[in-house]
Amino acid sequence: MEASVRIAGAAGQGIQTAADLLGRALTRSGLCAYLYNDAESRIRGGLNFCHLRVAPELRQGVVNRCDLLIALTPQAVQEQGPNLVPDGWLLCPERLSHPRRASVDIETLAGQAGSPKSLAVVAAAAAACWLGVARETLDSTIGELFSSGTPAAEINRRAVELGFEAALRHPLPRSLKLPAGPPAGRYWISGAEATALGAVAGGVRFVAGYPMSPATGTLTALAQWSTEANLVVEQAEDEIAAINMLAGASYAGARAMTATSGGGFCLMTEGLSLLGMIEAPGVILLAQRPGPATGLPTRTAQGDLRLALHAGHGFFPRILLAPRDLADGFSMTARAFDLSERYQVPVIVLTDQLLQEAQASVEPFPYGSLPTRRYFLSRDELEAMPAYQRYALTESGISPMAAPGASRHVVVADSDEHDPDGHLTEVPALALQMAKKRLRKAATLARELEAPLAVEGDPRQHALVVSFGSTHPTLDEARKKLVSAGRPFAWLHLDQLWPLPASLRTLLRDTPHLLTVENNVGGELSGLLSQVGLREPESTIQRMDGRPFAVDELEARLREALA
Amino acid sequence: MSVRKEDYESPVENHWCPGCGNFGILNAVRRALVELELAPHQVLICSGIGQAPKLPHYLRVNTMNGLHGREVAVATAAKLCAPDLCVLVHAGDGGAYGEGGNHLLHAIRRDVDITLVVHDNKVYGLTKGQASPTTSLGEPAKIHPRGVPSRPLNPLALAIALECGFVAQALSSRTDLMTDILKRAVRHRGFSLVNVLQPCVSWDKVRTYAFYDQHCAPVPPEHDAGDAVAAFRLATSRPFLLGVFFERQGTPFDERVLPQGSGPLRDLPVEPRRAEHIARRFR
Repeated sequence: MEASVRIAGAAGQGIQTAADLLGRALTRSGLCAYLYNDAESRIRGGLNFCHLRVAPELRQGVVNRCDLLIALTPQAVQEQGPNLVPDGWLLCPERLSHPRRASVDIETLAGQAGSPKSLAVVAAAAAACWLGVARETLDSTIGELFSSGTPAAEINRRAVELGFEAALRHPLPRSLKLPAGPPAGRYWISGAEATALGAVAGGVRFVAGYPMSPATGTLTALAQWSTEANLVVEQAEDEIAAINMLAGASYAGARAMTATSGGGFCLMTEGLSLLGMIEAPGVILLAQRPGPATGLPTRTAQGDLRLALHAGHGFFPRILLAPRDLADGFSMTARAFDLSERYQVPVIVLTDQLLQEAQASVEPFPYGSLPTRRYFLSRDELEAMPAYQRYALTESGISPMAAPGASRHVVVADSDEHDPDGHLTEVPALALQMAKKRLRKAATLARELEAPLAVEGDPRQHALVVSFGSTHPTLDEARKKLVSAGRPFAWLHLDQLWPLPASLRTLLRDTPHLLTVENNVGGELSGLLSQVGLREPESTIQRMDGRPFAVDELEARLREALA
Repeated sequence: MSVRKEDYESPVENHWCPGCGNFGILNAVRRALVELELAPHQVLICSGIGQAPKLPHYLRVNTMNGLHGREVAVATAAKLCAPDLCVLVHAGDGGAYGEGGNHLLHAIRRDVDITLVVHDNKVYGLTKGQASPTTSLGEPAKIHPRGVPSRPLNPLALAIALECGFVAQALSSRTDLMTDILKRAVRHRGFSLVNVLQPCVSWDKVRTYAFYDQHCAPVPPEHDAGDAVAAFRLATSRPFLLGVFFERQGTPFDERVLPQGSGPLRDLPVEPRRAEHIARRFR
């Protein structure tokens, strides 16, 4: 039992605000909403949409069909009309004729509210009414979004009132009301905000970045919370400065991060290599969009997996994580900081436009279960040491880490090959020792990060699908449909993409048919599995146009591939 | 407990060419730090790539010897996270004005409390004699056999035009003057640029010790270092003046952006509850 509402219109018509209002109000009403954004890289005009999927429990798969289409322009009616289910309804300006048009004259109502710009809010209020949101919930939600007393707040308050009343007078012949649970205190939060919150929970104190879609939202959220979170966010002059600032902050002993997308990440690669060499912790949120070059700036992709894995010259250990949904975006980002400091390695968190810009009603995050340890030597420990070597040779490859200024010892780090003291050296024996130390650290990482693989189904009997990142919710729904239709297959969703679990080898070897599902052109995951000598997947289901897979589409393509 | 010169003694073997101007700079920096009574663990020197950036290895001091041209970005963040450190940057003219030019502009804008010492010998030493951004127009260099076709960068004029907090020039062979300038630069609360002229004994047969001795003169005593226009005029008309060209005291970046009353960011614990508190706005 669910309902989908799609709000489509031109950039600048306020559809994102309207969709945010609706999703928020539904969450406050005890329902769960999932919103994903489809927008062009422009500030005015064109055709954008926000799709809201509403259900008593959270469903984060991407769907295209809608029960209610709010179309604000002729182009929106024309292009999005076909997504309307046969018994669905269209809410659009009265002058745009359509057989399924609901009889609420949103254009006149927006005029009455005081501004044609309130069109989307009038429509969202009507939709909220039809979905069973109480008027007072909607009123308090609009209060959350617009500071009271401003002219815009007054217009929007009036728009809500008019839209809601009109919908009450004109109920839809097919009710969209869903059984709501008690208001459960769920968050209405975006993926970008979830990763930012994860960073705060992970103890981030210094953030440097350069704006780039779809990573900007994470930087913005952190900047807004900087006082409460007790951190500094600096907009660097470029991505090169950002990653080097991260290195400086991290060397100085603070937990640090940056957020960027593929193009910016490319500029950061020398700095990434620096982190590897000086063994500085650091978290890099790589929010992917399609490339090459500028690519599709506002669209989604999973095309940078091997870039993230191989970026930076020379060998150094690293960790690659890919959250599957918003809640995971929080937990994994928080965990990234712990891993990064514990192992003194860069950790790259791979998200994408779909995940960053999605909003959802999620359960409050598990703050109490997060690691809170810091791994630097304390002042007392340092004062007790007769001498300190930043790159002391150890069996694990991990050297005890000190921050400069924390004791009477000095801390020396060098991007050149160095001796255990941190001073540059070209002595072959020392160079070899350091190379081996970094190799040992990579082995330690692989060993300690080995976790049992959570495989669904029986991969020895059926085909095995491997996936990563934001395709998880959509693939999950597609799989459930196929399984209940008698087309079972096994499924492994990789959360940790590097180091790859050693147990993967047997798993992949023993399945009759191996395929990957990935939202990219290059077949990144398939390529990775082949490249590291695990197994070359027989087939790869890809979506290459910068749009996310939808449940029905993926179901059909899996059915075909598994036939 | 007073700080001694020996506290800064490094065991690392020096790899500079005999007679290099860098030795003068090394001596002046050490003297300045000792006279400022800063202990080695209270000082961080950030550097990049080249001959000049090897300097922190030849002192016992906190060192972050990073990538070419990025030393100012590293130092900016390190100062913000460990504001109890006195942070200096040692870069060559290639790193500071070429590879790192953009970072320099923005570091001046930020006015973070660090001191950038540029070893300006007008040549790329470690890569063996290519032109630097401060090499004169028409001067032959390794990749410019018919002469450098671009006009040189005037770092002092550039910094003064941006009203950089502290702008000075020194000469590597006049360590007394340089020590004095470095002490003033470190004491200045904000971004300081000290451009140090130095001969390159391996690649530059023109600008020798004798050349600089002959051409250098002190900034005229009547010059008002608070007057940016006068400073700019000096910097553009007389390239070999030594002394403080410009000084302007603003509110340093660190004071503007750091959270108040929480101690250095470096020392803060991991506090998931802060995230939980922030997340109340999402309910």
